[in-house]
Amino acid sequence: MLEAILSLGGVGFFAALALGFAARKFAVEVDAREAAILEVLPGANCGACGFPGCGGYARAVASGAVAPELCPPGGPETVARIARIIGVAAIAVDPQVAVVICQGDQQRATEKYRYLGISDCRAAQKLADGPKTCPGGCLGLGTCAAICPFGAITMTDQHLAVIDRDKCVGCRKCVEPCPRQVIKMTPRSVSVHVLCNSHDKGALVRQYCQVGCIACQLCKKVAPEAYVIEDFLARVDYRHAVKPTAGVEVAIEKCPTHCIRDDNPPPAPVPDEKPAPQAA
Amino acid sequence: MKIKRFSGGLHPPEHKSTAARAIEQCSLPDELVIPLAQHIGAPAEPCVVIGDTVAKGQLIAQPRGFVSVPIHASSSGVVTAVEPRLHPMGRPLLAIVIKPDGRDAWPDGLEGGMNPLLVNPLTLPPSRLRDMVCNAGVVGLGGATFPTHVKLSPPGGKKIDTLILNGVECEPYLTADHRLMLEETGRVLAGIDILRRILGVERVCIGIEENKPDAIAVMRDACVRRDIEVIALKVMYPQGAEKQLILAVTGRQTPSGGLPMDVGVVVQNVGTAAAVADAIIHGRPLVERIATITGPALVEPKNLRIRIGTSLRHLVAECGGLREEVVKVIMGGPMMGQTQLSLDVPAIRGTSGLLLLGKNAVATRSEGPCIRCARCVSVCPARLLPTTISAYARRDMIAEAERFNALDCIECGCCAYSCPARIPLVQSIRQVKGAILAKRRLS
Amino acid sequence: MTELVLILISAIFVNNFVLARFLGICPFMGVSKKVETAVGMGMAVAFVMTVATVVTWFLHYFILQPLGIEYLQTIVFILVIAALVQLVEMVIQKVSPVLYQSLGIFLPLITTNCAVLGLAVLNIQKEYTFLEGVFFAIGAAAGFTLAMVLFAGLRERIDLCPVPRSFRGTAIAMVTAGLLSLAFMGFAGMVKG
Repeated sequence: MLEAILSLGGVGFFAALALGFAARKFAVEVDAREAAILEVLPGANCGACGFPGCGGYARAVASGAVAPELCPPGGPETVARIARIIGVAAIAVDPQVAVVICQGDQQRATEKYRYLGISDCRAAQKLADGPKTCPGGCLGLGTCAAICPFGAITMTDQHLAVIDRDKCVGCRKCVEPCPRQVIKMTPRSVSVHVLCNSHDKGALVRQYCQVGCIACQLCKKVAPEAYVIEDFLARVDYRHAVKPTAGVEVAIEKCPTHCIRDDNPPPAPVPDEKPAPQAA
Repeated sequence: MKIKRFSGGLHPPEHKSTAARAIEQCSLPDELVIPLAQHIGAPAEPCVVIGDTVAKGQLIAQPRGFVSVPIHASSSGVVTAVEPRLHPMGRPLLAIVIKPDGRDAWPDGLEGGMNPLLVNPLTLPPSRLRDMVCNAGVVGLGGATFPTHVKLSPPGGKKIDTLILNGVECEPYLTADHRLMLEETGRVLAGIDILRRILGVERVCIGIEENKPDAIAVMRDACVRRDIEVIALKVMYPQGAEKQLILAVTGRQTPSGGLPMDVGVVVQNVGTAAAVADAIIHGRPLVERIATITGPALVEPKNLRIRIGTSLRHLVAECGGLREEVVKVIMGGPMMGQTQLSLDVPAIRGTSGLLLLGKNAVATRSEGPCIRCARCVSVCPARLLPTTISAYARRDMIAEAERFNALDCIECGCCAYSCPARIPLVQSIRQVKGAILAKRRLS
Repeated sequence: MTELVLILISAIFVNNFVLARFLGICPFMGVSKKVETAVGMGMAVAFVMTVATVVTWFLHYFILQPLGIEYLQTIVFILVIAALVQLVEMVIQKVSPVLYQSLGIFLPLITTNCAVLGLAVLNIQKEYTFLEGVFFAIGAAAGFTLAMVLFAGLRERIDLCPVPRSFRGTAIAMVTAGLLSLAFMGFAGMVKG
């Protein structure tokens, strides 16, 4: 019995000595705050902060090189926690959400030619600027949906990308790959958007899309605060966080091509009649 | 004599029905649309304005930078517009529109050229000849339209010892180079002499595929006293691709990511040689070229001498119009040509042919899963693994695709042609090549 | 000498620790998504295995056996292995932070990696001499690394394939592991293990 106790104790003691020595010899400087920040971060490793994964961002924040509010998936509470860890005042961040500003699916927008290549918008865009007649419309081949790390983008069976507001964390990963820049980041507090990305004149837009903005100025007339029209395209002025006020609602009703939508109520179906395709 | 070839490749049906048709002069169209981007490199800069009267061969756009060439009016007339017009690339790009006056007159009432050379061109210094080639706007007429004077200026330290003339014309349907060698042998040979003088090389070879025995015989007879080797090559697509041609003719392997210059070779198309002869001997800039207008949807396929800027619609009318509805229009050959959106685009310097296909000739089977049959691997003339590179490409795994040498792909289309699952391999590889280059530019 | 080579061959191919004895499945499934990390993990395990075998062999024949307390074998071995893994973890963190990042959670897993303990125990059971024991450990470690790297290579290739939705991820990995194991069954009976 005594031998057992002694031998086991001896082995344990020896192991402890070795470990203690190694801990000194191979000590690695670890910033305790870095580990704490890493705990707080969502751990999706989505890269929205511009660093390789959450670990990289945690290290950068701990070293004081970057601000704590670069993590969109984490949202305000994460920012507040990180700020507490590194001891700075938290800055309020306005969480963002991505929106596909196009409703021109196969039913509603015309095609320039029939595309038979790989399912990648970037590849399609290289062939004569994409198969859609509209120069800014969603090509619907799903490049963004494949990239989204949160599964927030789905493709409708009419080939249009649709973003789920509840799943989107605003990581911006889908913005840059879209060859037509049809995905825009918008403040989450605003749910009304003009869903068109064509800067062509109204008459031309009417030729290729039923739900395109024709820059008819109606929305600006009923809600001058909320809408801006630039280069033949209306958009919501996100600087004033518009809550759907009466004027905005009226504009949604009035828009002749139904291209303004409020994302909070379910989008109303639009009549779908295909305009006559142009002779190619 | 052993027939030379490279590894891989395939032999698609040749369809060279126009091989026996003599070259015809295409009539003058109502309008010439001459794009400013007709070559690899920086587009030219217009130096005429609306309302200017231009003579045939007059300079209408200046080159921008070293890798760029000037552009000339392909007929006499009035400049009616300088505006974006639909370009064979598929989007509107800046072009100079000329309304021909019907006289088709060279300046100062000269015949067939601008300032004919009065001395033997072979007595001029190479640098002067090179400048003349550049000023005449000569580009590679095989289809790649790389400015010829750049190819003829090897950087210091690169010793060129061989000039290879490309008379292979391995693309199905195309017969323009074939007819050129038969009918205008003298022009081609004069051009070869000048190219030889510019490069100062001893060894000159002409590579011709053995399915053109008449062209081989004619060229051999002509080259007897000139110390030029005419080499019959195995009929195998893409025998006319630069690196494959060099391998077949000289046995030299161009290094990965390298240029023909790295193995001491310059390759020029026979059409380019003829254009060089025109430029130097007659002072005739590159304002026309020979192209094969063909395809099952056409009534009467022909080899035409066309002015740069003639619309495709006019070329089709010149060949008796269409016999059926066209489903696909391809500028160039069926393997590497560019599909066109409409017939209202102009023929440009790189237009080696026009192919019109009806619905019976176009397969629109959808893509199936890869069954790992490795046909694409066995036909790849660049010895790549197309299926693997394509799989990486479609998952945006750029670094892996680069490791598998995606950049060595010559986009010849053999893999996509031979794929039983109809996977658009070339498109995805081209996509990832762009991504790799973009990544390199960033770093 | 022949005996030693046979022990090596047996441990690597015939009685491969992962694919024939089914030890160390946890890191085999967990750290085999990329060949690089699989190699790193293989190396770490190889180091721990070899050192653990040597230490446990001495402990057993010079302390436990003379004192007649072989019943403490398991607990002593686990203690030694745990200490060793801690040591390896410290070394890797110092020497190769990148490897440390990618092995992350799996380093502590070597502590409870049955392959290491299994090796030490088998070594005693088979009554190997010291030299035989070392060769057995090297073979076992090489076999483990081989299985890991092969499997990681397969998984990298599977990533390029259109796997049916219901099979994606671990499911297809399990199927593949089964097939790989089946392939290794081809070596069965070549050497008496």
